[in-house]
Amino acid sequence: MTRDNISVIRLKDILLVTVPPEPDDETVSAFQEKVLDVMASNEPRGLVLDISTVQTLDSFFARTLMETVQMAALMGTPTVIAGMRPDVAITATLLGLSFGRTLTARNMDSAFDLIIEKAAEDLSI
Amino acid sequence: MTLRLNEDFPVNEEGDIVMARRLVREFALQRGFGSTDITRIVTAASELIRNIYVYAGKGFMRVSFNEEVVRVGITLTFSDQGPGIPDIAKAMEPGYSTGRSMGMGLSGSKRLMDELTIRSEVGKGTTVIIVKWLSK
Repeated sequence: MTRDNISVIRLKDILLVTVPPEPDDETVSAFQEKVLDVMASNEPRGLVLDISTVQTLDSFFARTLMETVQMAALMGTPTVIAGMRPDVAITATLLGLSFGRTLTARNMDSAFDLIIEKAAEDLSI
Repeated sequence: MTLRLNEDFPVNEEGDIVMARRLVREFALQRGFGSTDITRIVTAASELIRNIYVYAGKGFMRVSFNEEVVRVGITLTFSDQGPGIPDIAKAMEPGYSTGRSMGMGLSGSKRLMDELTIRSEVGKGTTVIIVKWLSK
């Protein structure tokens, strides 16, 4: 699994990246690089990280996701983590993972709504 | 890759973490755990295998099944001959890490499982045993 296998879709000026389900560390790093690269070349108004296929979110993987969200924020792009499975949410909470102020959504629809709302807020300030 | 019960699965490289996770998932399913418990067990295993890889470089994992009158269980053993843990109480504190991690591995694994036991000797190595029970 390399960065070529990581799916990136551009929809309504928002980038939708599917996080690979059982990535090894190399794929996790490739994922992060790819996200930042496509952001630089696309200048989207938002980024959605779809984690609906992720079955195991350990602290290493979670840290990389959080780092990616922070890097995207530094590049001026709001990010929403979308589609966390109930099992994974239970496990992440017990494990003690903290997602801070990261925007999260149940599905892609709500994720897109959140980004559009966020963009509208930023314009009105 | 197949692994039998009570057999050592060597952890030597980073790619072994993903493989070990897959094996633990299969065993937990075979033992009869539901999907939430399986996710907890696999995630705890992932943390502890990573600890072996990060702190000791190599070690092994073993899976065994427990049989009791009213309950059955799965026991996972993670063993290495690495530097050992000088202060186990401290290592169990959430957020404490000597590596470049979030420090959630040991404390988090304890919360995800029913039992967690650590034996460690500085300079000799560390063994962590975790157990999850299932009512019959």
